[in-house]
Amino acid sequence: MNPDKVIEKKDRERKPDEPVKKKRKSNSYSLSIGPIHPALKEPIRFDLQIEGEKVVKVDFELSQVHRGIEWIGTRRNPVQILYLAERICGICNICHSTCFCIAVENIANIEVPARAHYLRTIHAELERIHSHILWAGVAAHELGFDSVMHYTWKIREKVLDVMEALTGNRITKGIMMIGGVRRDINEKQVPMVKEALEYYKKGFGKLESIFLKDPVIKSRTVGTGILSRHDGLALCAVGPTARASGIKKDVRQDEPYAAYSDLDVKAITPKDFLGEVKGDVFDRIVVRLLEVKQSIEIIEECLKQMPKGKILHEEKIPKLLAELRNIEGDGIGRLEAPRGEVIHYVKMVGKEAPYSWKVRAPTYNNLLPWGPMLMGEQVADVPIIAASTDPCMSCTNRAVVADGNSEKILDNEAMRRLSVEKTNALKRRLGR
Amino acid sequence: MFEMAKELFKQLFKKPFTNMFPAKHAPKSTVGFLKKVEEGKAKLNEPVPIPEGFRGKIAYDKEKCIGCKLCIKVCPANAFEYLEKERKVKYHLSRCTFCAQCVDVCPVNALVSTKEFLLSDYNKK
Amino acid sequence: MIDALQAIVLIPIIAIVGIFIALLFKGIDRILAARMQARIGPPLSQPFIDVKKLFMKENIVPKNAVKWIFGMMPVVALTASIAVLFYIPLFGFKPLLDGYGDAILVIYLFAIPSLAMVLGGFASSSRYATIGAQREMVTMLSYEFPLAISIIAIAWLVSSTTACSPAFSLGAISIWALVGPLGILGLILLFLVMLFVMPGEVGAIPFDSPEAETEIGGGVLTEYSGRNLGLFYISASVKTIAFAAFIVALFFPGNISNTLFLTGIGAILADALFFLVKIFIIVFIGSTFIRVAIARFRITQVVKVYWGYASFMALFGLLLIAIDLMGVV
Repeated sequence: MNPDKVIEKKDRERKPDEPVKKKRKSNSYSLSIGPIHPALKEPIRFDLQIEGEKVVKVDFELSQVHRGIEWIGTRRNPVQILYLAERICGICNICHSTCFCIAVENIANIEVPARAHYLRTIHAELERIHSHILWAGVAAHELGFDSVMHYTWKIREKVLDVMEALTGNRITKGIMMIGGVRRDINEKQVPMVKEALEYYKKGFGKLESIFLKDPVIKSRTVGTGILSRHDGLALCAVGPTARASGIKKDVRQDEPYAAYSDLDVKAITPKDFLGEVKGDVFDRIVVRLLEVKQSIEIIEECLKQMPKGKILHEEKIPKLLAELRNIEGDGIGRLEAPRGEVIHYVKMVGKEAPYSWKVRAPTYNNLLPWGPMLMGEQVADVPIIAASTDPCMSCTNRAVVADGNSEKILDNEAMRRLSVEKTNALKRRLGR
Repeated sequence: MFEMAKELFKQLFKKPFTNMFPAKHAPKSTVGFLKKVEEGKAKLNEPVPIPEGFRGKIAYDKEKCIGCKLCIKVCPANAFEYLEKERKVKYHLSRCTFCAQCVDVCPVNALVSTKEFLLSDYNKK
Repeated sequence: MIDALQAIVLIPIIAIVGIFIALLFKGIDRILAARMQARIGPPLSQPFIDVKKLFMKENIVPKNAVKWIFGMMPVVALTASIAVLFYIPLFGFKPLLDGYGDAILVIYLFAIPSLAMVLGGFASSSRYATIGAQREMVTMLSYEFPLAISIIAIAWLVSSTTACSPAFSLGAISIWALVGPLGILGLILLFLVMLFVMPGEVGAIPFDSPEAETEIGGGVLTEYSGRNLGLFYISASVKTIAFAAFIVALFFPGNISNTLFLTGIGAILADALFFLVKIFIIVFIGSTFIRVAIARFRITQVVKVYWGYASFMALFGLLLIAIDLMGVV
């Protein structure tokens, strides 16, 4: 079975008392959006059944951008994997490398210095600001409002500059290290970070009035792509997608990592701002904007509370590598990426490279909710609804059906039969 | 209401946010444009300044290298090749991901991060 | 009235000048839109470069397309767009075909490029184009209603107050002088309706759902490429300035040379410049600014906006003019 092939089950979303609607097949036709389409930033294929402008059936096909990152990872040592993990996703690169660090630290029982915890928090929150602002621009573009896209991306430059100054690079920052972080924030950089935070506090008001008060954006997003709390829980939505449906779910709150246990982080739902939870696209915009504000507060708090001291568990990388070579066992890293919960599973067996490395990116959970969200909406709203979960396809793809020309999908039995056949063929060839 | 419209109207009379590097509009031939700049016929707009500690192209000092292979061990992109005869390494710029882990690990500081970032070239060095 | 020879000479000149001005305005439009978004934008000559490139590119016709309709529609669209120019006063001159057609004819000519896009979209046998064509049709039906009300209101006003024959010629009369204060309010409403119809007419963003790049990847134009796309591109640009010139002719005719006491070549130049400035203002408000300041509507919202708000405004304007006229007459 292809685990990534997800078929929308219409019957599951229907409430028990709702009558079964009679399908009028004659009027509907199929529309395929993707794998390559202007609305999609990454390849995925939607197979929609349309009646007029209304979506009556949703199906989508993943596995268009399998990169085999986990496979590459099992051929490299943990320090090398850090940089590979960063490249799982350009936007949540801190999240993936931190998550991998946490998993390995769990196996090796490495204690991370307190200051490093705070630094990790600061970097993670800067990244959240960046990601949410970038997303706001993409969402505006999907709505056909390119001016807002240019505006938000202009605002975004500031946080990129800060990240570049703190880490030495704009996007793939390469700041995480197993047992801490690679670079400290020095006294000179603190005012710069604070200035950027002030800039965002000011910019936040403007973004708020643009996104939350613009009548056209409101008319396009309110009541569009509704994900009910029930559906959100049943389909395991994570991150802002889940929180916008009123599910108080946030790893930072539920299972604090890094310095979050010292900070009072509460999952944000639209209830805090709007007073009610609808679970529509507008709610998801609200949640993300409020999280930008929350991140600013968290960073300020971190800068205030940050203790002095070491930032690395072991400064000498060869020594660290030798330590990691001897560890055995498996560990799990969980953290809240801008898009939701990231889980890394690592199994070490006393060798240089991990025996297994498994990544579950948040988009994977946020795909199934597309079903109930897209059902009954207009074709015009498909891009914004799809974008509202902030999907990241290449982070999600981990399996691929390589037999491209035929429709068949190999199950367990067929795989076993094929491997037996191949072994026999090899035996014959070797003359045994 | 229509907050964006106000903002847009303001921006109409402001200078564009874009940094005009290397020129206002893409020159027909970048090489030709750079040649002109060298001759002093055209002006090159400066790129956005880069901060302290920027991780640019990695400078490799072959003299200092002791051939300990640590950089090969930590490099995620296999950008270093070990030269058996000389007992030194060879740095492949085209493979480098600029994580600067090798800079951190090098015991003799033979590898240093520079601020150089304009790296595209016609020559395969 | 003009003789045939004069027309044969002037028609190509107007067509070429019209296309040139249209593409130039497109360049200005793109720069201004970019500046509003804090970008630099393309050079002024970008539309010319685009057209040149499109004409050099291969013209691909889909296998399942109805080839003759698919290939003919861009030509029809461009011809109709240019034909509008002959019935509208340009650069302070009288329309070339003055007396042969009136405002009502112009509305029909404006509908032809949209119809051509609908037919071309259906003929290209692509799902995206089909959806786009359906949307184009719905959009057209929506904006034609307030547009027709506005034009007919003005036509009725002119025909009932002046000695002009019902087929009045555009640009000859200043309508503001024909009505009292209530009528002026009505005319302002009609003017706003026309401005509001403009983005729909030229396919600019709040009403560009037939093309909606992020939704249906170009819609009606999905399968068009090369020369055909180039023709549609020019047609859309020409239509933009033609519609702006139409609004100018209806609401702000008149020249500046008399006010400035200019004569001879100076007067002609001043009038031409004045005309361009007027068109520029209309294009800026009706297309460039709206295009960057509003998000795209859904097709259902397009219908609601045009049939609801715009039609109501137009009818109200018509009512005001009627009340005013009844009082006057």
